[in-house]
Amino acid sequence: MQTIEIIISTDGQSRIETRGFTGSRCRDASQFLESALGKVSSEQLTAEYHQCVQHPPNQLRQEN
Amino acid sequence: MSHIVTIQTEVRDVEALGLACRRLELGEPVQETVPLFSGEATGYAVRLPDWRYPVVFDVERGQVRYDNFEGRWGEPAHLNRLLQSYGVEKCRLEARRKGHSVLENQLSDGSIKLTIQIGEGHAND
Repeated sequence: MQTIEIIISTDGQSRIETRGFTGSRCRDASQFLESALGKVSSEQLTAEYHQCVQHPPNQLRQEN
Repeated sequence: MSHIVTIQTEVRDVEALGLACRRLELGEPVQETVPLFSGEATGYAVRLPDWRYPVVFDVERGQVRYDNFEGRWGEPAHLNRLLQSYGVEKCRLEARRKGHSVLENQLSDGSIKLTIQIGEGHAND
């Protein structure tokens, strides 16, 4: 299942986390929220992102 | 998990600002020029509880202007709650426009968690 989790703190700062996406697709998936909410102050790519981002495009399609 | 982004909220959407005000049972934001202690500000003005001056949102620039004299003329928590509600409503609006479903949960520390479930047909939107 692909989900985007957003935690909005009591001071209005948002933290967006994508789950279930492979490689750079997570960035595409959450882009609409990032640009809608404001300025990105930090970004962290997790192990899952690095594992999948180097696969050729046809392999990415097979995974999904 | 694959990607975590932290964002400082900028208020640029009047509809989401209006929904946030409704959520907190504040008056509707009104486009006007209002006096602050030093000078005046033009934009969408919101009256927060017990604040001496309104908070003014310039949605074109994503800027907010207010004068609360470091908390003496207005409790900063009220503004923070408005920014939090704006973030919630803005995310809900954007998710709805994409056709995604949204679950909302209040967390014990006061944060609000939204879970957007991406439909298969929308995975690459």
